[in-house]
Formats: sequence, structure tokens, C-alpha cells
Amino acid sequence: MNAPDSAVMMKAVEIIPADEAAPLYKRFSSPRGEHLLVVPHTRIFDLPDGLTAGEGHDRPTSEMLDALAAALALPATGEVPLDYVVQPPPQSISLNVSSSCNLSCSYCYAARGSFEGAQPDAMTWEVARVAIDRLLGEADPAAAVTVGFLGGEPFVNRRLVHRAVEYAAAEGERRGLAVGFSVTTNGTLLREEDVELLRRHRFAVTVSVDGGPRLQNLQRPLHVNQGGSYALLHEATRSLLAAPGRAKVAARATVTRFDLNLRERFDAILSMGFPEVGFAPLRSAGGAAGALEDEDWPAYLGAIIRAAEPEMERACEGGTVRLTNLAVALKQLYRGASSPYPCGAGGGYFSVAADGRWYACHRAVGSEPYRLGDSSTGIEPARRREFLVARHVHSQSACRQCWARYLCSGGCHQEATHRTESACGFIRGWLEFCLAAYCELAERNPNYFNPEAIAHERDVHE
Amino acid sequence: MSDKDIVKLLPRNVAALRRGQTEKDGATLVVGNPVSVRLESGVGNCFPGLECDLRNLERRFFPFLTVDVIGSLIRVASVDTAGVQAAAAAGQLSAAAVAVYQQLAADLTANPPWLIIQIRGTFGPLGVLDVTVANLQVPSTGANRLPPDAWTAVRLLTEGTEVLITLRRNNLTRTLTGNRARYLDDNGALAKMFLPGELTQSLCSPWTHDFRDCGCFYWASNHPDIALPPLPTPTPDVAAVNTSVPWQRAERTLTDFPPAPATPNGGSREMAYYEINTTWQSLNFVAEGREFSGPYEPGKFKGDKFPTRAELVTNLRYAAGVELAVIHEYLTAAYSLRVTGLSGALGRNVTAARAELIRVAASEMRHLRAVNDVLLTLARADNVPTADFIPALRVAARIPDSQPGTFRDVLARPATPQAIQDFIELERPSVSVDGLYSRILATLEDEQNNEMSQTIRSIMAEGENHFETFEFIQEWLGQHSPNQYLLALDLAPPPADNPLHATLQQRYRALLERLFAGYKLGIPAGAVNINAARQAMLGNGGLEGAAAAVAAAGFLVVFDRVNDPRFEPVNNP
Repeated sequence: MNAPDSAVMMKAVEIIPADEAAPLYKRFSSPRGEHLLVVPHTRIFDLPDGLTAGEGHDRPTSEMLDALAAALALPATGEVPLDYVVQPPPQSISLNVSSSCNLSCSYCYAARGSFEGAQPDAMTWEVARVAIDRLLGEADPAAAVTVGFLGGEPFVNRRLVHRAVEYAAAEGERRGLAVGFSVTTNGTLLREEDVELLRRHRFAVTVSVDGGPRLQNLQRPLHVNQGGSYALLHEATRSLLAAPGRAKVAARATVTRFDLNLRERFDAILSMGFPEVGFAPLRSAGGAAGALEDEDWPAYLGAIIRAAEPEMERACEGGTVRLTNLAVALKQLYRGASSPYPCGAGGGYFSVAADGRWYACHRAVGSEPYRLGDSSTGIEPARRREFLVARHVHSQSACRQCWARYLCSGGCHQEATHRTESACGFIRGWLEFCLAAYCELAERNPNYFNPEAIAHERDVHE
Repeated sequence: MSDKDIVKLLPRNVAALRRGQTEKDGATLVVGNPVSVRLESGVGNCFPGLECDLRNLERRFFPFLTVDVIGSLIRVASVDTAGVQAAAAAGQLSAAAVAVYQQLAADLTANPPWLIIQIRGTFGPLGVLDVTVANLQVPSTGANRLPPDAWTAVRLLTEGTEVLITLRRNNLTRTLTGNRARYLDDNGALAKMFLPGELTQSLCSPWTHDFRDCGCFYWASNHPDIALPPLPTPTPDVAAVNTSVPWQRAERTLTDFPPAPATPNGGSREMAYYEINTTWQSLNFVAEGREFSGPYEPGKFKGDKFPTRAELVTNLRYAAGVELAVIHEYLTAAYSLRVTGLSGALGRNVTAARAELIRVAASEMRHLRAVNDVLLTLARADNVPTADFIPALRVAARIPDSQPGTFRDVLARPATPQAIQDFIELERPSVSVDGLYSRILATLEDEQNNEMSQTIRSIMAEGENHFETFEFIQEWLGQHSPNQYLLALDLAPPPADNPLHATLQQRYRALLERLFAGYKLGIPAGAVNINAARQAMLGNGGLEGAAAAVAAAGFLVVFDRVNDPRFEPVNNP
């Protein structure tokens, strides 16, 4: 899902009106009854029973709901209108610290960190420091600040990661900023000193792991000899998983069309000690095979729902949800997350390449339309504005009239070209499942949605 | 009221809740009236209908039809075809009748339209008549008189009686039979066939000429004759700023401040008809008796603040206990009144007194919830985890008395003249319970949370309404002797082993448990429990039925002490 509403009312640099024909509400049902999703600002209501045939009213129910939804869709205090293009200060950067990786997964978007030659060298300390200084200097001090590490495999450039974390933490403290960290790693190179670093700081650690030994070895082989990475991964993550300290660890599994059975690998990954697993279907694999095709999406939807259902039962009975996709969806539906952008790219989030250039997204290092500035001269407002205007969901002809437009927001910009009716059908199907699950859980175990916990939990960018 | 009658959206997530809660939203857009609004909620007089046009009720006098009554014509305006189909499917309408309705529906935009030309039915005091609409005329006098006009004719039809209407369009005539519709539901609220805004749709605002002529008691309270003048900046220190001026004065400039004061004869010249038509917008808004020519900002409430957060919380908890205690007293009094064997003025007065006592008790239940909402908000602001928050559901051991700083016992007693007098004292503005809330409000004004102060303000405003209501009850019951309206003069609580009494205590306890669970979570998480508690109060299977059963058996309805730390009596601070 997407970036949260900002509590700060921001100035619009451009207003892109919504499609007048776009639906303002979506009716859905859960085992608990009929519900109404007011599409703008994701407001969820229970509808009274028997509001089906417009009973007792002259006007058809749909007409009344139209009028009601039009009123409920207006922004409340503190909510940024959904037709605004705003340019908030940067709150979060990722540093592409490494240009290489010890694994060679066929589907890697970064070509093992080299980005097809756009990032030939690893990041230097000087580049990292200047980027961190700019972030800390420009961020809104009232909001959370995050420094992330990507690559390649970030721990190939271990020294830089350690130095950058210690620097950003100390510098943040000096400036009175709450700095958090994130890292996406293949987990195979973790040493005890790295684990200590992760434990000591408020780190969101995403470990890429595709499944049990068979799948992991097949999809994520070692670069040197194409041997399996499972044993290495299992061994290297054991200590962190046993005692994560302040770190929040989750597994992220890429799903290819060759194996859509999620439940089995979900259990396999949990058995390694991961508290939480998220799935990401492969939408584009560069030249390689394995991306999901139109006929795969219904099967994938069925598979993720089958993985989600037992987690729902757990949650209803007071347990945690271990499927990240569902946990995040439930949390965001509770808050009413709603945004015209699928992520913070170019908004509050930037990805810094090894050469110091700032890109809107870590997947777009080296891509000219995504280059929005650099550490030394800062963000270029005109380029940024152009980028944001073009990617606002109201600018997407395929999305303007979809009821899921502020929840999906068009999906990953990098994958937008792979958007098909079938792929969108999956998103809507999954959201319908999550909406119903949300309503059921809210009734069966209202304690699941602990307002304090959710208010204080910081959002971590993927 | 059944579940089905309540068309209510229950917010399910934070964003849904937020939309209804912020100050700005209240000011910018209101979607119809809340379900709790009744005709008498209007600030103006409701007849002849300046705030709601009662003639709109008659538009739906006949099942499945909406008509427009224009002069001497009754024209079919719309047909509820879904309702017709449902009634046909349920076997309540003949095929022939369905065909007529369908034809009316098909011809809605046709010219000329379908007209109701003949009505046969029971016309109230005029009895059974067969009326040809076109023949109606004034004057309407004498023994065999007819209604004077089409609207009056429809208005006179007795609710629930059979009506035969004859419709005509060109040379076609059709007839339909149906019962004159009910405009109100069992609860006295408007029947759900009426849409939001329907009763006001025929009003025009401003009725500028009327504005000029009508005195302040004819129009709603938003049209005063006199008001205090707007305050210029800086405010001169002269008595005239606090002397009323004619609100509709012709002289609108502030250069000769203060404006000439109002006199019994009106004072300075007032706007003439035509001036009002063209410059009505220059009339100032009046709030708290004073005209405002710029934005109005409510003043801060002045009162003796509690020095610490802990004292505020203690007093809020006690306030919740007082609400519970007065609910006990009011319900005991309400259920001591007769419900059978009443007629005439006695019947009307006792029925009204009982209904109003229960209404006030229900309003105190809302206060209980409101105080708990404020307590939860404060607890969250203080980072108290949900698990540690304890809702305030302990009944007050003693409640504030008429003299500041004095307290009296909670008394379970019938609605005797002394009891009603005590209720008046309890709700009297500025003392007793109101005095407690005024200190709470003064303290909360510093919290930068407008919602909490508004919550307390609305409790205080309702307290004033309760005060007036008890004065009315005193007047109504005062016309009769207690042995006429009380179930018995020596009404006493049931013996401890009475099974009806036991059922009442059991249901009351279950209600407290539900409220405890709901208040602990707040909204939206606690909504399910709070709604369940509300439902558990109604009907024969609820608190209502249990209390009625105790009363019907000839006992006083009383609520026993609950021996549970969460619900046992709390002392005044």
C-alpha cells in the first residue's frame, strides 16, 4: 500500500482534479454485514442491514450513497486534499552503498547493484556523509527521519554502513531529530558486529528470502559458483532472529510464476525464526523469465488469500499477523491511509546513488526522468514537480476511475508499464479481502487495533 | 424502535471517525439532521411552519404516492414503485392496483398530469364524506360543511382509516384504495419515508417582507427585535455599549457609535420593506445577545479551575458517578407513575411527565458516556495504556445539594412533589451539578482540545433543559394529587428475594459490564459494546422491560449496590 496522509497541511504546487465520473464509494460485505468504503480518504463505515433495495425511500440507495459519499469524501482537518501535488521536505533517503552482490538472482532489478553500468563503483564515505547532512538539514524536525541502506548487497560495503549509521545517529541526536534506519539485505553476509549494529539502533531489517532450501537455492544462488545460499542465510541470520534488540526484522519473498504456492514457503520461512513474512510477486524480470502473466494473477490471489486466512484467525483470537502484506493492509485500513501516490518516491523519499545523485526511487538509479537532484546542490524543484505531476494517480488514465485509486495509487512507478487488467484485478481482489478482514477483525478482536501502538509506530519505507 | 428503523452509519476506522469530529467539518457541511432530531428540536415555533412546512406531510398521505397540493389541485408527483412491488410480492396489493400505480409512474412527466379529483374517507370531525376536490370552497361552515380547500381536506383524513381516491388524466379515470399514511413512527420521530430536507423544502429564506413585520416571538429566535450593539475596536468605556439597540435600525454605519438605544416605541427609524429586501444582509448576526459584524469567537469560560490534573480526573470520575446516581433517581421516579387507568388531562399530564423523566434519564446516560470519553482522551494524552484505563462507572455515594459544598444521599423514591422539587434543585443552573461541571469546563479550557470543552459545554446546556423540563413536570403533576398519578402512595422497594427485582439487577449489572468494555476501548473500537449496551436497555427483554415488570408488580424500581470495585459507590472528592 502507500504513504500515509500527512498531518501537516501542505501547500499545493499544482492541483490535479479528480475524474468527475470516478466512484466515490465502494460497497463491500464481510461476515459481519454490509460496509461502505468512502474512496477518498479511505473512510470505512458499517451500513445498516437491509439497505439493499432502497427500502422506505423514494430515492434509490445508490443515489443516497452518492450524496452521502460526496459529503464524507471532503478532507477533514489535517488531511491533505487528494488532488494536491505537494513537495514535502525529504524525510527519508536510501543510500545505495554497494554496487555489487554475492548472490545473483535472475530477477534482480539492480543487476546486482551495478544498475547495468550506471553505478559501477561502491559509495564512498564522503558521498554518504554529504547526503546524510542534507537529509538532516532539510527534514521536518517534527516528523521521523529514516536513513536506509540498499545496493547491491549493503553489507558488501560493511564499513560504510557502520560509519553512516553511527554518524547519522549522533548527528540526529545533536540536532534533536528522531533518526531511524532501514536495510534490505540478503542476510548471508551478516557478521556478529553487523548484528550488534542492527540491535543497537532502531532498524527495520528486511531480509530477502524466497522460501525453504529448494526455492531459496534455486531463485537466489551464490554468484561465485551458483551454489545454494540457504545454508549460509540460515546460519548468518540465526543470532539476529534469536535476539533482535531494537531491530524489527521481516522476511520478504519474491514470488515467480513458476511456483505460486505461498503457504508452504510461508511456513518454511517462519520456521527459520522470522517473525513476519511479506510476499512480492515478480512483475518485471528484465530479460529473465518468471514474471507473473495475466493468467497467473487469479491463482496468485487465491494463494495469498489462503496464506492470509489462518493469520486472520490468529488475529481474531488475539495473536499477531505474521503475513506482512495483511498486517500492513489492516493497519493502514484502520488509520484510513489514502494517497494519490503509491510510495514516497520524489515526495518525502529519495534514493542516493553512489555518485551522489538523488533519484526518486532506488529502483531507478541511472534513469534520467527519476534524477531529481544531488547531495551537493539539493533537490531541483522543477524536475521534482514535473515528476510528481506526471505520477499523481489523477494523471493515470488507467487508474482515474478505479475505486482502489487511493489505496493502490497505481502501484510501483517502475512497474506501471506492466499494469494489466488482470494484474489490477488481483490488487482489487486483495483489497476487497483485506477490507472484509479488517471489518471482521475490528469486531471480533477490537484490541488488535491498539490506537497508541499504531499512532506511535513509525512508518518504514520499503 | 427496532434496529431496522435506525439508518445509521457506524464509523469503522480512524479516518471515518475523523471526518465527523473536526471543528471545520461541523462548520462547512452538515448532511441532514442527526437521527435524534425531532420536530420539537427546532429553535422556532413549528406552526404554521416557518422552520418546517407541515404541509409537506400531506404530500405522502396516500400509500406509495407523493402528491403536490397546489391550490385546488392535487397532482401525483412521484410513485414509490419499489414499495409497490414489495407490497404486491407480499400479497398486500391487487394486480389491478399495481397496474394503476404502474400507469401513474409511467405518466409522471406527462402533460396534463394525473390529478386526484375525488376523495372518499373519514375526514376527522367532519366524519365520512365523499369529496370532489374541485368543489371545495370557503367559507366552510354549517352542519354539512365540507373542508374549505384541498390541503385541509387531506389534512383532516384520519390516520390509518381507509381512503378511496379517484384519479383523472384527460378522459381516463382510475381509483385506488389505501389507508391514510402514518407520518410519525412509534417513537414519535418522522416516518422514514420522509427524506432529509423534505419538510423544509417549501420554505424560502429570507422571507424578507415578513421579516419586517413579524415580532420576535413569531419568528424563530434568530430574529430579535433588540440586541446589544456590536463592539467597535477599541471598545469605549461607556454604558451605551451595554444598552440594547433596535436590531433592524435603518442607520447602519458605526460612525455615530453607539447607535441610538431602543425605546418602547422602537427608537430610531427601522428599515422599511424595500430596504429590507435589498439590504437584509447588513443585519448583524446575534450571539449571546450581542450583534457581531465580524467573526464570532466564543469567550473563554470563567470558573474556578482545579489546580491539578489529578483533581480534574477525580472530579470527572465523581461527575460520572453523579450521572449514574441521578439516572437511578429519575428512573425510580418515572416507574412510580401510573401507566394504566388514566384518562383526560390526568392521562396526558402523567404520560408526558413519565416520558420526560425517561428522556432526561436517557440524556444523563449520554452524559455518562461523554464524561468517560473525556476521561479516555485525557488518559491517552497522558500515555496511559488502554489496559490500564478504568472507565468511570462507580455510582456516587452522595450527590451535590442546592447549597454549594453540600451533598445529599441518593434517594430511591417515587415522583412525589418533594422529589420533583429536589430534581429541579439538582439541575438548577450555576449550582449543584452545574457547579461541578463549570469547574471541570474551566479547567479543560486550558487543554487545547476543543472537543473536550465542547463535550462538557453540551452537558451543561442539556442540564439547563432538564431544569426547565422538571419545572414543566412540576406544573403538570401539580394539577393532580399524588394518589392520582402514583402507582401507590406507600410504594416500597420489592423484598430482596423478589424474582422480578433480581432480573432487573441482573440486567443492570450486564449493562454496566458492556459499558465498561466499550468505554475502555473508546470509539471506534468500543462501538460494538456501546451499541450492544444501548440495545440491551430497550424492549421487554431489556432493562426497560425488567423495570416495567417490577413497577407492574406494585413495587418501587430500585438499583442495588453492586459489589464490584469497578461499580461500587464512589465518594465525593
